[in-house]
Amino acid sequence: MTPKNNFFSLRGQFIYWCAAILALSTAFPFFWMVSTSFKPLQEIFVFPPNFLPAEFTLANFVRLFEQTRFLVYFKNSVFVSFTTVVLTMTIGSAGAYSLTRFKFYGREKIASLILFTYMFAPIMIVIPFYVLIKKIGLANTHAALIMAYTAFCLPFSLWLLRAFFQSIPLALEKAALIDGASRLEAVIYVVLPLALPGIIATGIFTFILAWNDYIFVRILITSDELKTLSVGIADLYNATVIDWGMIMSGSMLITVPVLVFFIFIQRYLIAGWGAGAMKG
Amino acid sequence: MKYNSPKAGILLISPAVLLICSLLVYPVIYGIWLSLFKKHSFFPDQRFVGLANYAYLMKNSDFWMSVWYGTVYSVSTIVLQIVIGVIAALIVNEAFKGRNFVRGVILFPYVIPTVVAIILWKWLLNNQFGLVNYLLLAVGIIDDPISWMGKDHIMTSLILISVWEFFPFVVLSVLARMQTIPPVLYKAAKVDGAGAFRRFIHVTLPQLRSVLFVVILLRSIWMFTKFDTVWLLTQGGGAEKYIRTLPVYAYMRTFMYYQAGMGAALAVIMFIILVAATAIYFKMFRREEEI
Repeated sequence: MTPKNNFFSLRGQFIYWCAAILALSTAFPFFWMVSTSFKPLQEIFVFPPNFLPAEFTLANFVRLFEQTRFLVYFKNSVFVSFTTVVLTMTIGSAGAYSLTRFKFYGREKIASLILFTYMFAPIMIVIPFYVLIKKIGLANTHAALIMAYTAFCLPFSLWLLRAFFQSIPLALEKAALIDGASRLEAVIYVVLPLALPGIIATGIFTFILAWNDYIFVRILITSDELKTLSVGIADLYNATVIDWGMIMSGSMLITVPVLVFFIFIQRYLIAGWGAGAMKG
Repeated sequence: MKYNSPKAGILLISPAVLLICSLLVYPVIYGIWLSLFKKHSFFPDQRFVGLANYAYLMKNSDFWMSVWYGTVYSVSTIVLQIVIGVIAALIVNEAFKGRNFVRGVILFPYVIPTVVAIILWKWLLNNQFGLVNYLLLAVGIIDDPISWMGKDHIMTSLILISVWEFFPFVVLSVLARMQTIPPVLYKAAKVDGAGAFRRFIHVTLPQLRSVLFVVILLRSIWMFTKFDTVWLLTQGGGAEKYIRTLPVYAYMRTFMYYQAGMGAALAVIMFIILVAATAIYFKMFRREEEI
């Protein structure tokens, strides 16, 4: 462990100041969002602004729940994101297990195909994707969204899960087989429990991607009652009179789940990053 | 079943391969096909027009403007992200109290939904009630409020917001690599009398070369194809035209002019520019040991 920089040395001073500026410039907008969402309407527009609400109120949240379909959007977001996670994790784990435990023709080709598709950006596929989805009659359904997210998350999930499965020694499985377990039992009782932390971390990356997405919802969903949170909140902004208090409280509520999950996966961040789990 | 039976392996990977091929690879190929048609975005009829969409775009000044805005946007955000990202990584690589907290907090902008990032900044940069204008006025840097979303400043605002949102990616990638640089290299440089700046140039930077190679590549691909950040900022400002990058233009052609074929042609052009730029980039900077 390197010694901590002394706050009183010149170098130490410099580093502490830089770190403070970094933390402040990234965290302050969030603080401002929270502060605004608890202010009563009149106070939001006072000049000079109050850094903390002088009068603390939940009125913005009440309006958000009463005047908008926030709960419907929330439910849709949860449904779509979790279904995507379950699908991606099932298909991805099976695929990653196959890539690490079996030898077959074309295995390396598949691995490089996965790496190549990971470079695709949503805008490059969303137009033909929309036309195709419309042709098969799935436009304006959650199924279309789930298909898009699963396809988008699979490449990095496979890549990440492959790394996790590679780190589980083959000998453990073989030992289970010698002890009389079937292949399936060996997978369920030996491999999966060991791979679980990796699967959960990958799942959270998938969740964040699906939860945060805007473009696919904007394009694939037209009915208001099927929208998810990101489009729902973005549309609040398009009203004639912008209700900043309500928008800030809504923004805060979408951000919370993401940050909670994010704190959970801090440990895996480096691994996930390496595999490109955080696109954008 | 034999332990390494290829059949079981193929069976297990096939759902993933099938989904990737049908939902990612096929749409891209279909997009190329679609770009040869005149097709309404909502109605099924279509007419084969060959390369007419491309020919139209080549003569269209809006298209060339969008290429220009897209280039300005991606080049400036990439340069700023890399510079700020590397500096930030150097700082959080130092040992100080509260380091883990700072490391966590600076990743926030990258993790939150883009919608939230844009809304936050629209509020902070609001010309009447925004905090940024208030602070700038209070300190005396400006005399009149700046119209951040107006046509003169919207590109600057967009670049600043994008750098804020995406620099954490650079920090984390670079930091991960920095932690693996053997400390003995720095000791040796110190013994040789190199100051902090020369240690950075001659020890740190060469070690970061390969990670920067990949990070710049990925960031370029993602910034050049960035849709949501740009599009959301254009909403409700009136200065939409001045940040209409290529992805936004493709979206508008498809979903506001209802020209799906034209939109697809724009996506294909984006793809071609990316492939060409990547090829040049690899030729210029790739060394044998990388990727």
